[in-house]
Amino acid sequence: MALTRINIGPVHPSTHGVLRLVVDLDGDTVVDVDTRIGFLHRGVEKLVENRKYMQCPPYMEKLDYAAPLSVDELFVATVEKALGIEVKERAQYIRVVLLELQRIASHLLWLGTTCNDLGQLTTGFMWAFMDRDLVLRLLEEATGSRMFYVNMRLGGLVRDLPAGFDEHANKLLDYLEKRLPRYERFIEKNPVFIERMKGVGILSKEDALDLGVTGQILRASGVDYDVRKDNTYYVYNKLHFSSKHAVSGDNFARYKVRMMEIGESIRLVREALRTMPEGDAVGMPVKLVMPNAKNRISIVSREVPRGEELMYLVADPQSAYRLSIRAPTFINLAALRHIARGCRIADLFAITSTLDFIMADVDR
Amino acid sequence: MTGMIDVYTIMQNGLNSGNILISLVFLVIYVIFVLLIMSVFAYLFGWIERKLIAKAHYRHGPTYLGKFGILQNLADLIKLIAKEKVAPKTAYPVLFSLAPQLLVALTVFLVLLLPYSPSLQAANIGPGLLAVFVLLGFTPIILFIAAFASGNKYADISAQRSVLLLLSYEIPMMLVIASTVLITNSYNIQALISAQERGWFLFLMPVGFVIFFIALLAELERPPFDLNEADSELIAGWLTDISAPYYALYLFLDYSKVFLGGLLLSILFLGGWLGPSFLPPIAWLIGKAFIVALAVIMVRVTMFRMRIDRILRFGWIWLIPLSLINLVITYILFV
Repeated sequence: MALTRINIGPVHPSTHGVLRLVVDLDGDTVVDVDTRIGFLHRGVEKLVENRKYMQCPPYMEKLDYAAPLSVDELFVATVEKALGIEVKERAQYIRVVLLELQRIASHLLWLGTTCNDLGQLTTGFMWAFMDRDLVLRLLEEATGSRMFYVNMRLGGLVRDLPAGFDEHANKLLDYLEKRLPRYERFIEKNPVFIERMKGVGILSKEDALDLGVTGQILRASGVDYDVRKDNTYYVYNKLHFSSKHAVSGDNFARYKVRMMEIGESIRLVREALRTMPEGDAVGMPVKLVMPNAKNRISIVSREVPRGEELMYLVADPQSAYRLSIRAPTFINLAALRHIARGCRIADLFAITSTLDFIMADVDR
Repeated sequence: MTGMIDVYTIMQNGLNSGNILISLVFLVIYVIFVLLIMSVFAYLFGWIERKLIAKAHYRHGPTYLGKFGILQNLADLIKLIAKEKVAPKTAYPVLFSLAPQLLVALTVFLVLLLPYSPSLQAANIGPGLLAVFVLLGFTPIILFIAAFASGNKYADISAQRSVLLLLSYEIPMMLVIASTVLITNSYNIQALISAQERGWFLFLMPVGFVIFFIALLAELERPPFDLNEADSELIAGWLTDISAPYYALYLFLDYSKVFLGGLLLSILFLGGWLGPSFLPPIAWLIGKAFIVALAVIMVRVTMFRMRIDRILRFGWIWLIPLSLINLVITYILFV
């Protein structure tokens, strides 16, 4: 039978940014997907070479606009490693709190867009965004900004947590813990949702490892790999949490892993706030006088909400000589072709949404 | 029956007595009356749908124009009509511009064909119910033509889907109608409603009611069966290349189809215009149709979109056997 080739994107309701897919269809079945990227390429890695170290975080935050703090923190941590700067202990705790709150916000955004992609009339989307907004409000309280925080400084943060943050955070976490079962009732009890998610878009353990996917997609395929556990940083080894994984590797497993991670993050933030030591958390000022790179090459990897993001920095005294970023979404998106072959056209978007890519991060 | 308004009879009397002008005027007045009811219903439904969905989303919905934003849809309509009419190069021009008119004409004709009270109807014909559903069966076919004529690949997929959808819901729907006919022994809608004076068919065959409601959602292309215009994969399906004035027409069609669906469901299962006499029969009928419309909105807000192969399987594995069983049980119990 003759194949139909349709072009999806770069402007399409479900591509979340400027992803272009060239799809060959046999009736309703996807025969091949060709992923075309690069519409949002800004040359961030090159831009960094012409900036002083602490001029870069605003660029970094625009990489993953759903979780800017994570990338901000990763870049600052890479520079800290290059310059050999220790992070103050209280700042480490605060960073964990902020990162986990950011993870919650990012996963809620993902949940909302997934509901949308599965053809639900934006109800789940609006609910998730409402809750995400509360998290953003808390982050605003801590950092002074709603979306792009630029809150990390070498060795610490811009400012300590404000007074009353603990109380507000705990209140929000209690609320979120009450909301999670509501989402599960609303989404998982829906037979159509289960039908669309279970057994669809299966990525086997071997393929997941071969394709190099990380984050929830890898964990959903049955590999228990979490950078926070396996290559621990900050105070994650002092806090009690488990990295959640599933075995089936389908859309539903990816959904479930993310939902469980929200619960884990809530627990992590609580514990970090409870065990946080007193002290100073403010880092070095932006205008570094004579930064002195100790390590020529530094590699730092972090578990950002979308997988393992890694930065490779070749340091000069004042600025980066070369920065290379391993964006998890870029590699996760590469798995799309493998997963989507043979699925239905409607499932293609269920799969892209569970792969959870941010095109700004893919294209860099 | 005294005071009975039956357009068909009046027209015939007019023809016989040679006084055709008065009966023509009467026909026009009747058509305007019914269309007015339909338009007001469609308008209010459009507004209430927006408001209710907003409520479910913790939003406000339209608030700015008029009290509670009731004029928002009117403003949207004016905006859409005022826009330029564009047809894509790849479209078949005649079919492309004819299809919306055909669809609207069909729906209007169906709405005109239905009786509104024991004494207000277009024609008291014997096979009225059959006629309505045969004509209703044309909708997906015209829709297929409209999608095909727009020359868009998304619309092509949407056209395939609309035919597959037709295969999965039309048969159970017809079987359920057959079982109501088994009870009444007639395809006449008046007889169908007077047969419900003893008890609504909703209570006689609840399974049939559920099947009919599901099939109706598919017929109306409402979620979870809105695969023709699945926005997350097909952008807008067969509406992708439709320009604004036609889109306004389709929007009107969408809402008036809900009116039609509500009327059909209330006539078949909810006792039509039967109800306590403090309200006129027509008010009961339209009130019931409105409640059905609210149920349609509820489903729309909460459901995820189904996949086409799943709908086929659902139709053939569940709906058709269940409607057959419903038919057999109805036969055993009531005939």
